[in-house]
Amino acid sequence: MGSSAKRKKEKQKDFQKPKLKVGKAKAKPDNFTDTSFKSKGIVLNQQSLRVAAPSSDTQFTHYLSLLSSKSDSQRRDSLAHLTTSISSRPVDTPLPQPVSVILPSLLPLLLDASNNVRTQLLKLFRTLPSTDIQDHVPQILPYIRAGMTHLAADIRVSAVDILSWLVEVAGSEVVSCAGGWIKTMNCFLSVLGWHTEESTKWSSNRASFGKSGTQGRPMIRVLLALAEFLNAGIGRPDPDVEMEAEEGADGASNWDFPLCQSSQHMVPLSAAPYAYLNLFGQPRDEEGEMYETREDRFRVFSSRFRGAVERGLENARKEGGETGRASSSATKVLKDAIAYGPGP
Amino acid sequence: MVKRKLGALEKVEADLPNLQHKIKRDPKSYVEDFRAQHYQYESHREIFMAAPSSATDNGVISLRDLIDFISHVADCYPDITKDFPQQLIDMLMQHHLTLEPELREKIVGSLVLLRKKELLDSATLLNTLFPILISTPSKTLRLFLFQKILSDIRTANSKTTNHKLNRTMQTVLFNLVTSDRTSSKGLWAIKLTRELWKRQIWTEAKAVEVIKEASLSDNEKVIVGGVRFFLGGDKDREEAEDESSDEETVDIGRVKHAYGKNKKTRKNARTVEKAKASMKKKERKKGQPQLLNFSALHLLHDPQGFAESLFSKHLQGTKSNLNLEQKLLVLQLVSRLVGLHKLQIMQLYSYFQKYLTPRQPSVTSFLASLAQASHDLVPPDALEPLVQKIANEFVSEASASEVATAGLNAIREICARQPLAIDETLLQDLVMYRKSKDKGVVMGARGLLSLYRDVGAEMLKKRDRGKEAAMSLRAGERKEKRFGEQEAGGIEGLELLEQHKEEERRNKRREQGLPSDGEDENEEDDEEANWAAWNVEDDEDSDDSGGWINVESDGEIEMSESDDEKDEHPAKKAKQENGEEKENEANSNEAKEKKPSLATTRILTPADLAKLAELRSQASSTSTLPKSKRGKPQAPGTRHNDDPLTAEEIEGLAALSAGKQTREERIAHARQGNPDRAEHKSVTAKRKEKKQAEGKSTTNKEKARKKNFFMTLGKAKGKGKRSLVETRRVLKAHQERQKRGGRRANGR
Repeated sequence: MGSSAKRKKEKQKDFQKPKLKVGKAKAKPDNFTDTSFKSKGIVLNQQSLRVAAPSSDTQFTHYLSLLSSKSDSQRRDSLAHLTTSISSRPVDTPLPQPVSVILPSLLPLLLDASNNVRTQLLKLFRTLPSTDIQDHVPQILPYIRAGMTHLAADIRVSAVDILSWLVEVAGSEVVSCAGGWIKTMNCFLSVLGWHTEESTKWSSNRASFGKSGTQGRPMIRVLLALAEFLNAGIGRPDPDVEMEAEEGADGASNWDFPLCQSSQHMVPLSAAPYAYLNLFGQPRDEEGEMYETREDRFRVFSSRFRGAVERGLENARKEGGETGRASSSATKVLKDAIAYGPGP
Repeated sequence: MVKRKLGALEKVEADLPNLQHKIKRDPKSYVEDFRAQHYQYESHREIFMAAPSSATDNGVISLRDLIDFISHVADCYPDITKDFPQQLIDMLMQHHLTLEPELREKIVGSLVLLRKKELLDSATLLNTLFPILISTPSKTLRLFLFQKILSDIRTANSKTTNHKLNRTMQTVLFNLVTSDRTSSKGLWAIKLTRELWKRQIWTEAKAVEVIKEASLSDNEKVIVGGVRFFLGGDKDREEAEDESSDEETVDIGRVKHAYGKNKKTRKNARTVEKAKASMKKKERKKGQPQLLNFSALHLLHDPQGFAESLFSKHLQGTKSNLNLEQKLLVLQLVSRLVGLHKLQIMQLYSYFQKYLTPRQPSVTSFLASLAQASHDLVPPDALEPLVQKIANEFVSEASASEVATAGLNAIREICARQPLAIDETLLQDLVMYRKSKDKGVVMGARGLLSLYRDVGAEMLKKRDRGKEAAMSLRAGERKEKRFGEQEAGGIEGLELLEQHKEEERRNKRREQGLPSDGEDENEEDDEEANWAAWNVEDDEDSDDSGGWINVESDGEIEMSESDDEKDEHPAKKAKQENGEEKENEANSNEAKEKKPSLATTRILTPADLAKLAELRSQASSTSTLPKSKRGKPQAPGTRHNDDPLTAEEIEGLAALSAGKQTREERIAHARQGNPDRAEHKSVTAKRKEKKQAEGKSTTNKEKARKKNFFMTLGKAKGKGKRSLVETRRVLKAHQERQKRGGRRANGR
């Protein structure tokens, strides 16, 4: 409605440029709010001034708590700090915190969105003493499996890396703990896309959902990890280990005559010897069952997975290149295992 | 923990909704990806089950997202997800106390979704949700669960009534109520039943049985809930029905008109389509037969037993710890049951004895209950002392006018139901109060008087009986009604039909030139014709008087029957016939007394029945009454048997007593009569508003008046500079135009 000259002028005003002058302060805008204030002194409520630096133990706990921080770099840095503090501790001293305390805050980081955090996490895992890890395999495995089936390809690959580390450190526990054999095998098949007849026919760029990830060559790593896993699960038992076991038995059988096979009657050496009874957990189904002996595992493998794995390996071999080479190592393990059969 | 903010890259990499979308479009190709996500869900579930309470957001994807995802696409892979519903149920049943609220809600929502996808049956779902509903301490969860349960039952019953599900659910509720009578968990049963009753999903006796058990429980809340259901459940239902029929009344003509004028957009087109669709739906609904639903009070199996146990448990016993308000509710229910089903609970009347004093709090409710509890099968001996007590305590010159009014009204209501409850002297005493100065008291006494003119005129003094009653008494038409006497039933409005037939016959005879009375030889032919016209549609006779509607007389002046008949055929006839006719009428009146009713002499044809319905509706039609009389409540005698009697009716006009109200109160009271009266305005303004509301445009005059002044300036300037010739031309043209009727020649 602005037809009158007065209104026009009013409108014009809004668009006029404020004139700036050299040597003079800029004019304050209309809506300027004065936030300055005067005070005789500023008091900080909480101030922790100490002469002594915090002990390494407190620092360790502090950094442990920072693992659930929101910023990526904070999590990565605190992981790095934990790594150095664990690796640089004097030989034969216990960890600043027991593994059972550290692990619950570490495990969710397996599924962390940031690549750097996960690589740093693997580094930290490598510094942990393997004997401590062996007792906590059932705790770690669900996270690894969740990582292996994650939508993000990067997380899948790093989960496979961590699995291969775990197999290396505690191979027998990984394959024999509850759900460790069938469920993990299933995850492998799903990562490789070998589940069904049809899906193996796809070439390497099958219609998989999600980005391929930034780390490249995921297939090779997965194949290598599969080879290690199969080796731990159904590979030909190492003669040295058997010898050792026999020696142990011999050591026990040095006892007097009526006491034979006394090691069977002794208190077992493993941490959770009666885990297979599943006294306190949920009832398990076939997939979640423990398969403690190689014989069991081989039976399950040959009934459930052998066809799919052989088919998949064959296809991978045909692809050639590095993938083919990686597949050949897995094939070798498989052939050995089949040649060995269900066991002696 | 605050949810972690996702970066853009992360979102792309872990985009479950995207995968979900793709799976829905092509389930076969993405089976591997789904399997991977299912494994992921399994491992997350494992992690969760290991430590249910400490479940937090794990990285980019949480268990919640996975559950959501899987439940959305579960119908694409039934073999992979066959355990999924059971897993969710287990998770919820075992850990609902410790679950994180969001996850808990998600699980419930997913279960409902699975139910919608038919992967889970209603019974399982309800068996899962209901126990949690009554046991969880979380208010939000309870609310959520209640909604879900309700909506599930509604959808299960949407197409056809799912009797099986309803029965199981009602059994569950019944067991809930009866298993532990002291707990307040029965409230959920009441809440659910009431809601479903209101929506007319549950209308069976079994639901009523649940509430019946609830009102016999030991917990006050449950008792009150149950009693309130009986007292107000049916009203709820009616209101809900009204609401649903009221909603979205779109004027299709207007919408179409607007669409013709306005810009044609797709959105507008859709509105028109929608309006048409809703119109059609409504038409179809109109065509459907009305469902007949019984009130909860009628569906009770054993009203006598129920009323007795209610009375002895909550009112009579000294053990019940209900407060007065709750007791009143129970009393209302008991007395309604007694009045409605004509039950016999003799202790009830002596129970009233001690509450009938003016000092008793909310005594009007007690009076109303007493009136409700009296019916014609109550022995007068039980009621007489009560009436006497009311008269003594309430109605006297010394008591306040409100008190006297309440007493008189209560006595009238009792006597309307059981006229033998009062003796002659007391009645005559009470009737004398019609000379009182207070309006309320006068109205009360007059009510009593007019009631007894109808039901027992011989008990009144001779001069109070009134003309009609006195005449009929003298003629011996009225007989005193004995205790327990029942009237024989008949077809409602049959005498109207009889009258109509008679009239028709006379008209016919008059056309033929015969005396209007006397034997009719053609009658049998007529009857045959009637049978031939078995179909209602073919019956043209009934159209004769179709356009006419009998006007109901105002009620104040009663015209005698013979006058009526005289009016019907006015002075067409010759004067000499008049004498004859009077004789004839007298004859016919006598004949009517003796003649057996129409129903006993002949079979009514459908045409007859249609005519009967028409006559009945005409007789009750009030459409021609002035507007002010239409909305008025009916006289107390005509109330329906099912309607409750309220304390307000007992208080009556006491509220109107002079000098007690301020001006504001009086205005408010006057407003109550006509609530939708708008503020005072001129007729023009009202018309204008109406036009605007209808979306019509303004007149040219108005447009001219509203025109911006500056737009008219140019023309006004030019006007002054016109030459004489020009002015003449303009004026002439204007005159011509006026004659023609405007520029557009309106009206030609």
